Amino acid sequence: MNAIHWRSRSRATPVTAYDDMPYTRGGAVDRADVGALVQSAVDGDAAAWKALVEGLSPLVWSVVRAYRLSDADAHEVYQTVWFRFAQHLGRIREPEKAGSWLASTARHESLKVLRGLKRTTPTDDPQLLDRVSEDRTPEQSLLDSEEAAAQSERVRHLWQEFAELGERCRQLLRVLMATQPPSYQEVSASLGIAVGSIGPLRQRCLRRLRARLEARGAV
Amino acid sequence: MTNTDGTEGTDGTDGTGGPDDMDDMSGDDAFDDDFDLDLLEEELRRAAGILDPIPAQLQQLAVEAFALHDLDARIAELTFDSVTDAIPVRGAVDVPRMLTFHVGGVTVDVELTGQGLMGQVLPPQTARIEVLRGPQVGSTLTTDDMGRFTSTEPPAGPFALRLRTDEGTVVTDWLTA
Repeated sequence: MNAIHWRSRSRATPVTAYDDMPYTRGGAVDRADVGALVQSAVDGDAAAWKALVEGLSPLVWSVVRAYRLSDADAHEVYQTVWFRFAQHLGRIREPEKAGSWLASTARHESLKVLRGLKRTTPTDDPQLLDRVSEDRTPEQSLLDSEEAAAQSERVRHLWQEFAELGERCRQLLRVLMATQPPSYQEVSASLGIAVGSIGPLRQRCLRRLRARLEARGAV
Repeated sequence: MTNTDGTEGTDGTDGTGGPDDMDDMSGDDAFDDDFDLDLLEEELRRAAGILDPIPAQLQQLAVEAFALHDLDARIAELTFDSVTDAIPVRGAVDVPRMLTFHVGGVTVDVELTGQGLMGQVLPPQTARIEVLRGPQVGSTLTTDDMGRFTSTEPPAGPFALRLRTDEGTVVTDWLTA
């Protein structure tokens, strides 16, 4: 998995290095590496670029999904963001904040597409439930096995309740659940909300989601 | 987020689902609650990995985008975009999208319509212009003496222009057409 590859590059870094972190989140651990990877990529190291893509592309994907872009728009914005990042590589002032740069670019580009002439139907998260059967990943195949049926049910319920949360919570959680947990700085850049408000908002949204799950007896 | 295996570190009470844990908590209860919420977030992360993962082919396009890395080209910054900078005309449909890019003394004006694109390089000069949609080579246009250019292929999706002028290469900021 990409995640393992990414994490294997990480070094132990004191938490105090991150001024925006109330506590350590997974993404933060790798942050010191991001600056070094950007520098290597600037110097022409394609492997460093690949590691950046693998580490940060879940964040970009989560942002475009948080804004409910259609599949086609999400794919286009995702590409625009990475093309622009490749173009600006070496001119980015704070390479260690490349994640925030990408998140902020994804946010602006998503909002622009939503405002633009194109009016496409936003993605309906519950619709995604129907996709499980289409393109199978190992995880999906696992869900098919009989002993995993209950777990599959739980995942579906969780996703349904998540999709029906209010827009603010749905957006925040969609960004937070990126495969590589983003730092609060990156979440802030993704959604244009203050770093200090993310922790309390996160708690409130997760509690709300849990209450919904409890109400349907799915805990 | 490593504690996905249950109740480690929570003195045996796993704290799930108490109705009274919504707001005023202290000490162990608050700790248990944070721990629960971390687990819930982790569960969402797994669900997203199953139900809305990033398509592998899409991520591959980002890997290939490394080819766009070009330190020698100057980047013409987007300074005007009618989508965000213009006041919409009421009732107008299919209005062209107007874009302006700047770098140094060079300005590139572009107009995108459903029929194609046209534009002008200022000050007027001849240049070869490549319409980019990705790392691959794009279609090439040549400006006239006035710096004007047209294409009948309407750009869709990621889009940038690469201009080769007497003074070197200029690439416009990428945007989504």
